[in-house]
Amino acid sequence: MKRLFTTILLAALFLLAAAPAFAAETIPVNDPSSGRLVEKPKVYNGKRVTFTGEAIGEVMVRGGYAWIHLNDDAYMERNVEEGAPLKGYNSGMAIWVPSDLTKQIDTYGDYKHEGSIVQIEGTFNAACKEHGGDMDIHADKLVVLRAGHPALDPIHPLKAVLAVVLVAAAGGLWWLERTTRTRIRPHRGV
Amino acid sequence: MIVRPRLSDHLVIGKYTGKVIIGVGMLMLIPLVTSIVFAEWDSAVDFIIAIAACLVFGFGLQAVCRTARDLNWSHGLVVASGSWFWATAFGALPHYLSGHAGSYLDTLFDVMSGYTTTGLYLLQDLDHISMGLNMWRHLLTYAGGQGIVVIALTFLFKGTAGAYKVYVGEGKDERLLPNVIQTARAIWLVSLTWLGIGTLFLGVRGMMLGQGPVRAFLHGLWVFMGAWSTGGFAPQSYNTFWFHDLGYEVIGIVIMIAGSFNFALHWAMWTGNRKEIRKNVETISFFITLSLTTMIATFFLAKANVYPDAMSLFRKVFYQLASGHTTTGFSTIYARAFVTQWGPIGLVATTVAMAIGASACSTGGGIKGIRMGIISKAFLQDIRRMISPESAVIMQKFHHIRDTWLSDDTVRAAMTVTIAYVTLYAVAALVGVLYGIPLEQAAFEAVSAASNTGLSCGVTQPFMPSVMKVTYIFAMWLGRLEFMSIFALIGYGMAIVRGK
Repeated sequence: MKRLFTTILLAALFLLAAAPAFAAETIPVNDPSSGRLVEKPKVYNGKRVTFTGEAIGEVMVRGGYAWIHLNDDAYMERNVEEGAPLKGYNSGMAIWVPSDLTKQIDTYGDYKHEGSIVQIEGTFNAACKEHGGDMDIHADKLVVLRAGHPALDPIHPLKAVLAVVLVAAAGGLWWLERTTRTRIRPHRGV
Repeated sequence: MIVRPRLSDHLVIGKYTGKVIIGVGMLMLIPLVTSIVFAEWDSAVDFIIAIAACLVFGFGLQAVCRTARDLNWSHGLVVASGSWFWATAFGALPHYLSGHAGSYLDTLFDVMSGYTTTGLYLLQDLDHISMGLNMWRHLLTYAGGQGIVVIALTFLFKGTAGAYKVYVGEGKDERLLPNVIQTARAIWLVSLTWLGIGTLFLGVRGMMLGQGPVRAFLHGLWVFMGAWSTGGFAPQSYNTFWFHDLGYEVIGIVIMIAGSFNFALHWAMWTGNRKEIRKNVETISFFITLSLTTMIATFFLAKANVYPDAMSLFRKVFYQLASGHTTTGFSTIYARAFVTQWGPIGLVATTVAMAIGASACSTGGGIKGIRMGIISKAFLQDIRRMISPESAVIMQKFHHIRDTWLSDDTVRAAMTVTIAYVTLYAVAALVGVLYGIPLEQAAFEAVSAASNTGLSCGVTQPFMPSVMKVTYIFAMWLGRLEFMSIFALIGYGMAIVRGK
């Protein structure tokens, strides 16, 4: 009984100690989300918003500012290669941010990477005057909530077997086609 | 009486279909190499499986279908449409094996969209797909723009007279040079020259915009392929909105307008006949209808005060309208913004531009400028007849490479295909309406699919009903091959079942 009590106490202490780490892992849900911003652009135009998403693709630095794209979709924490279930298209927002702030972002999402999860604060523009009518957010604060990581995609063994079998079959048929090419069935009229 | 096809008919169709599918397999070597270069091993295995499957099918058909017989007209039509069917089924393998598609139907949708240069897609988590798969998506649309049969003609057919019949079956009927194989190669010469120059411009611009050299080059290549083929695929889910740059948009517009022009016009320009671009009925028709639709959309969006200034307004409207009219499908606004910002008039103006579409014998789709030109000229001719004395003989000419007198047969042919397109648009829209989608949105999406444009107002989704997916697949296929060769394929199927 005493041992059980000690175990529970230790577990509780461990959880308590680890609480800040777990809290840091929790990714806030966007309100408004990118979908909501696109659906109701007039409602949020000119308003200050907080937006969280996976940094995707690349940063495009233009002088003192830069473009980044944050996806707040079903794949922002785990992509399809890592086993995330399919839940529709990507969705996100284009962010115009001082380029110095983007230096905190270590990874941008692509096939081989799950990008850093970034939170920004800024002003939403339904049709930005500075950027030719683009829908964007001009951010002045940027925090990385979670660093990015490589997304492993090992070869599936069944696929490898199927590839070997099909390549052998294709090679066999190619050889058959070459060796019997001259034996063409004569055509007897239309 | 319907004549049942003989064994020799099946053999000749099988033989040439096999050749085209081998061509599709060879084409997959490019994305395979891309995946290997970027060490995307699982993706590389997907392409090895798909290539091997194409070769098994192609060599298998050639082994079984041995004949020295050449193609006749109906064979050509059946080979063209049948090849598209099989090329779609096999071309979908890498999409399916990638794990980014909800079902095989979704992959068929994407590949048909690629070959037909439509640009709608159902692939999910596009922003995390491999370089190899992105290369395949764009190569599909580039190859589809030239015509997958044209590729096979160029590399796999050896001077057969029947080749011309397959070429026509793919919706192209211009003979730039006396020999159809030479014509196919001329199309490639023009396209590859544009590919080199266009990729260079976009790649350099991408680097100026802050992209790394490799991504700038690949994005330049893929955006070129999407623009030239009037396909509209782009490497990121944000489409060309990704770049946020007027210069990139201008280069894109030049390429998509060039891609939407008739290959005969390109060839005329290539061989020194520069005046043709000003005189051709298709270019005149294109610039009139593009100007009209742009003016209408600009007027109503200005009234609605959607954009903050005139420059932003014109930039957004002209880009989406030029993209829609050339049937490219590139977009610098969110799909749903057509509904939430542009509203019904913006949707209708874009729908009309997409419905009219590009030039005949180009990479584009839609009713086509030449038919609009012919119908307009016939309409004017009738008005002149009405106001002229009864004894007056009113003749009308149109200019496409050469001056041609407008005959009743020409007008009838143009009207027949136009009515077929309008019917296709209406049927595809009706399916959307039956699923509860508002009429203007259902019409927008249906016309986008059937005219092979690819702009979306948010109706096309991975979770939309399967019936709508199948409807759009058929709409894309019928629209691209301009009906005849698919009717021939259906007729061939009926002849097998009911023929004597």
